[in-house]
Amino acid sequence: MNSTRCAACKYLRKKCPPDCIFSPLFPASDPQRFAHIHRIYGAGNIARMLQKLPAHLRAQAAESLSFEARCRIEDPVYGCVKIISQLQQEIFMAQSQLAKTLAQFQVFCNSLSIADPQFQHAAEASSSFIDQGPRSNHL
Amino acid sequence: MGGNGSSPCAACKLLRRRCAKDCIFAPYFPSSDPHKFAIVHKIFGASNVGKMLQELPEQQREDAVNSLVYEASARMKDPVYGCVGAISFLQDQVSHLQMQLAVAQAEILCIQMQQDQPVPTPQIEHFASTHRHQDHQQNSLFYHSRNNHLPQQQQHLNFASSSSDDHSIQDPFKRESFYGHHDLFS
Repeated sequence: MNSTRCAACKYLRKKCPPDCIFSPLFPASDPQRFAHIHRIYGAGNIARMLQKLPAHLRAQAAESLSFEARCRIEDPVYGCVKIISQLQQEIFMAQSQLAKTLAQFQVFCNSLSIADPQFQHAAEASSSFIDQGPRSNHL
Repeated sequence: MGGNGSSPCAACKLLRRRCAKDCIFAPYFPSSDPHKFAIVHKIFGASNVGKMLQELPEQQREDAVNSLVYEASARMKDPVYGCVGAISFLQDQVSHLQMQLAVAQAEILCIQMQQDQPVPTPQIEHFASTHRHQDHQQNSLFYHSRNNHLPQQQQHLNFASSSSDDHSIQDPFKRESFYGHHDLFS
């Protein structure tokens, strides 16, 4: 048994065995982290999820679960999904803005290329830039 | 639905218990869609979901269920990063678009300066909204991620009480997860 119990075993009031799956991921120094994750997922579910993962990925899984648990506690209705929704909105707006900008740019270059052939290259470049835009931003 | 004895909700069916008239799960987990509750139960656990719903006003429960289903689906598909992987991916998309927009604006200004012609520059809205992450101190984790994976299929999240194919939330993940390479938490 570990001389110092991990945060999980302390919270659950049980012995912390040497092979405790929580021990490397939930040190006693941060008891709240486990408390949050236990409140949302439950210790049993967390242990099961972590058991299914290779050992070298468990720390990142614990971190992401901890983040999602904190988001859910702060926003019990939407959790971290709200961030996703906001980001999707931002992407939509940014793509619209970009399309508008590139279209205006092309119009501008085209008008310049008519007046001054040296801008024909810019007009062609903007046209290909516009073509590249949608390809690299699939939605 | 619940309590009529003939059709227990999906939750009570899975949990093999009687579906009471006031079953908290019944309005949101109809028996016609057993998979919806199954994934939520797998990730969060039925009792945790019940507790969360109990703590919410009734008018917010449907949205809460939808978001829980979304998170559970994401976690099933990406057991390491779950929704966090999607957030990182989308943030990269936003950065990439901002960069493209900046380049386009610079091009216009450059030509404008060369021509010395006043061309009205497009009104660029400041969409690098800072408010989005101010509430979440954890979001500083994600700004370390600088991989420029080009965005692939992404769908909008819709929390309206709609009936779509995938448990009332569109499935945002139409490709394999590659988030394993992101160093999100350093």
